[in-house]
Amino acid sequence: MSAALLEARDLSKTFPGKGMFRKSRPVQAVRGINMSIARGEAVGVVGESGSGKSTLGRLMLGLMPPTEGSVAVEGRPLSDFTGAEWRRLRRRLQIVFQDPYGSLDPRRRVGSQIADGIRLHGRGDAAKQVAALLGRVGLEPAHAERFPHEFSGGQRQRIGIARALSTAPDFLVADEPVSALDVSIQAQVIQLLAELRHDLGLAMLFISHDLPVVATLCDRVTVMYLGRVMEEGPARPIFNRPVHPYTRALLSATPRLDPARRAGRILLKGDPPSPADPPSGCVFRTRCQHAVEACAQTVPALAPFGDDGRRVACIRAGEIG
Amino acid sequence: MKRLIIPGTLVALILLAALAAPFLGLPDPVRQDIAHRLAGPLEGSPLGRDEFGRDVLSRLVWGARTSLGVAFASALIAGIIGTAFGLIGGWFRGLGELLTVRSMDVILCFPPVLLALLVVTLMGPGAGTLILVLSVLYLPGFARVTYAEVLSARSHDYVEAVRALGAPAPRILLRTVLPNVAGPVLVQLSLAVASAVVLESGLSFLGLGVVPPAPSWGLMIRGARATMEQAPMLLFWPCAVLTLTILAMNLLCDALRDAVDPRTAGTRSRLRAVDRLLPGLLPMAKPAPGTVLSVRGLTVEIDTPRGPIRPVQDVSFDVGAGETLAIVGESGSGKSVSATALMGLLPPVARVAAGEAWLDGTELLRLPEEQMRRLRGGPMAMVFQDPMSSLNPVHRAGDQVAEAILAHRRVPRAEAWKQAEALFRHVGIADPERRLRAFPHEMSGGMKQRVMIAMALANRPKLLICDEPTTALDVTVQAQILDLLAELRRETGTAIVFITHSLGVVAEIADRVAVMYAGQVVEQGSVAEVFHNPLHPYTRALLAAVPEGDAPPAGIPGIVPPPHAFPEGCRFAPRCRHAEPRCSAGPLALEEAEPGRDVRCVRWRELARRGAEVPA
Repeated sequence: MSAALLEARDLSKTFPGKGMFRKSRPVQAVRGINMSIARGEAVGVVGESGSGKSTLGRLMLGLMPPTEGSVAVEGRPLSDFTGAEWRRLRRRLQIVFQDPYGSLDPRRRVGSQIADGIRLHGRGDAAKQVAALLGRVGLEPAHAERFPHEFSGGQRQRIGIARALSTAPDFLVADEPVSALDVSIQAQVIQLLAELRHDLGLAMLFISHDLPVVATLCDRVTVMYLGRVMEEGPARPIFNRPVHPYTRALLSATPRLDPARRAGRILLKGDPPSPADPPSGCVFRTRCQHAVEACAQTVPALAPFGDDGRRVACIRAGEIG
Repeated sequence: MKRLIIPGTLVALILLAALAAPFLGLPDPVRQDIAHRLAGPLEGSPLGRDEFGRDVLSRLVWGARTSLGVAFASALIAGIIGTAFGLIGGWFRGLGELLTVRSMDVILCFPPVLLALLVVTLMGPGAGTLILVLSVLYLPGFARVTYAEVLSARSHDYVEAVRALGAPAPRILLRTVLPNVAGPVLVQLSLAVASAVVLESGLSFLGLGVVPPAPSWGLMIRGARATMEQAPMLLFWPCAVLTLTILAMNLLCDALRDAVDPRTAGTRSRLRAVDRLLPGLLPMAKPAPGTVLSVRGLTVEIDTPRGPIRPVQDVSFDVGAGETLAIVGESGSGKSVSATALMGLLPPVARVAAGEAWLDGTELLRLPEEQMRRLRGGPMAMVFQDPMSSLNPVHRAGDQVAEAILAHRRVPRAEAWKQAEALFRHVGIADPERRLRAFPHEMSGGMKQRVMIAMALANRPKLLICDEPTTALDVTVQAQILDLLAELRRETGTAIVFITHSLGVVAEIADRVAVMYAGQVVEQGSVAEVFHNPLHPYTRALLAAVPEGDAPPAGIPGIVPPPHAFPEGCRFAPRCRHAEPRCSAGPLALEEAEPGRDVRCVRWRELARRGAEVPA
């Protein structure tokens, strides 16, 4: 894909172990991820806690340096950008956070927080644009004068989105933006993100633990487990017919309104292993009902599967898919 | 703002008096008049004269100039430099931290008075020296307080967001981090000024500070000490102004800290006391046989500064043996408050205002605490949302489960421990002998929730109330816990009240469902009926808002009203597509649509008819 806006190559991030006397093992949060996001494309990253999905989001934005590998913007590695160039780059890459309460500065009026992005990048009349942005995310221009605590969770999330949009970015990482919201509000915010994507041509990395949400919003999906990609490809086919045993288990565990729609329940044994001590070979094999001895030997490569453009990291994909 | 007035005026008066000293027409504070040595109140000197016949009032006011000047100057210097050090150390870590914060620790190693003695000996006494000594002494305090605050502030998402916007470090520090660490720094400032006033007096008293005959409170106390027996009031006056100043400063700083925090600025709108008289007038029907829990007209009232609110109003439901009733609702719907009311665990500000709840012939809501305690963890048990904080971190899991057994049954400890092991096996904990000896932090979230369930089941409860037991868990672990609960219910016949915000979970686990909105049950019935043929517009909208992977979910416009702003009539009306003026006319009752199916909507009949004509 030559038209990639953002491209990650062999991206890995290891957090050093903590402790002064006895160092705990380093945590391998993200391991060997390749990913490319085209202009205007929405890619979903799905995984449970400890899968490394949030770390991946921060790496893609350059908010933390990778341990190995690199992220490139239009073919140019992030590490090449320094000083003023780096600050100009920041305009293009933005983030929306999960926690609507912790992500806004409680002591500043929301208008001034949104105006930051406009002023920092000298993008013209701040007051006017703040009003326009607030309108864009479904709030009133008068709301600019209020403090974050005067808003509900859903409204705060809208403000967070307006702040991210204030720099007119090309790429947005949305880190579980609706997980902390009530269902009725969650749907409002999903609608808003879908509209923005459509109207502004935003490329988006949508991080979530909820596969149905990703399937409604994204073009492609990447399923992560313990820092590695299990399955990736077009969102809808993966949602309708998951191949990797982990994707299947994840989908079958997701509660549905009509339990009949949920394909036969696969109940995973035990808890996910610690990212500080992942199993050898396939990281999912300890909880996988299809695991054989060979799964412990080598890390399965992400290989093309079927004809819908998906790739699966499972040596038994052919037999069980 | 109100709180600022009194301490603010007090401090302003003290400062004004000190600043205006030359213009007050007071006698010269250093002019001696031996004739009136130790004289009482005289004309022109209302507080009398001191041991050299100097005017006491004049010396107090002029002394305030010196004492406060030294205190403010040193606290401000220390505050500015220390805060800057703390910001730099906390933000840049590494070398910056070493140079700024760690170097401060060296100063902390010196006893303060010793340091002061050393500097004064080297530089000679005087106000300038005093300011230098005091600011050095207070520097580490400011640096450390700021440093600690910066460390916690920098982990907040809003700081990361400003970083993502591309703001340079100085801007982030000044505009985002500094305002958020200002509270503790202000408190530190008040402490520093107050203690600097004291220390100035102390050092002057020792002869290390202000040089006589210049007036200072410390020098006045020093002078008065010698003549304490002849003229005790001489000692009283400087001590009194010293105390007053320090108290006023502390009050002002507390008030300031609250004032600069926009969150504490309360909204002032007065609230009507809404429908206090309504509920609980219906005659109580005896619960049907086989019903484990029967709740009728439960209403909870909380007194708030803005008047009483009712987060739960007129909630009624029944749960039979072996049945699971889900109470589903968004945040603010009152579902958790209902559960805590049933368990008798309401916080002190809340009380049950009306209603009855029968558990096997016992009325729960008016039971004395001692009897309630015997029920809790016995016939009725509860599983909470957060398994991380519901287990005591310093006790082994097995001890906590055994404790739950011993609280209700007289059995030997070994027997309780053996039963705990059986319970662990029962809730699907692999290797129970080892797990019994484990501490909570050695377990995963799913494992802890299993332990919580084991504890709840310890005394074979008739009723199990689960308050969002799977919300904090990953979906694959949630599936395990839901399966476990379903299996336990089949085996033991326990009635389960399952509180959740997830409609998907309701579909998984419940037989019947009560949908709550803004403190009321708006619809209830069997899960299959309610989900396939919702009668209340809110239920319908809620179901349409669940992302199922097909069509984009439809949000409900607006937000859930807070309890002090519940609409008078139908509480959903302001957000409802089908609202008409009559919806808001007055309070609505829960109406029986068909046996076992209730709905609280004036238009449900027409809407159901229309729904039948136009299938969704």
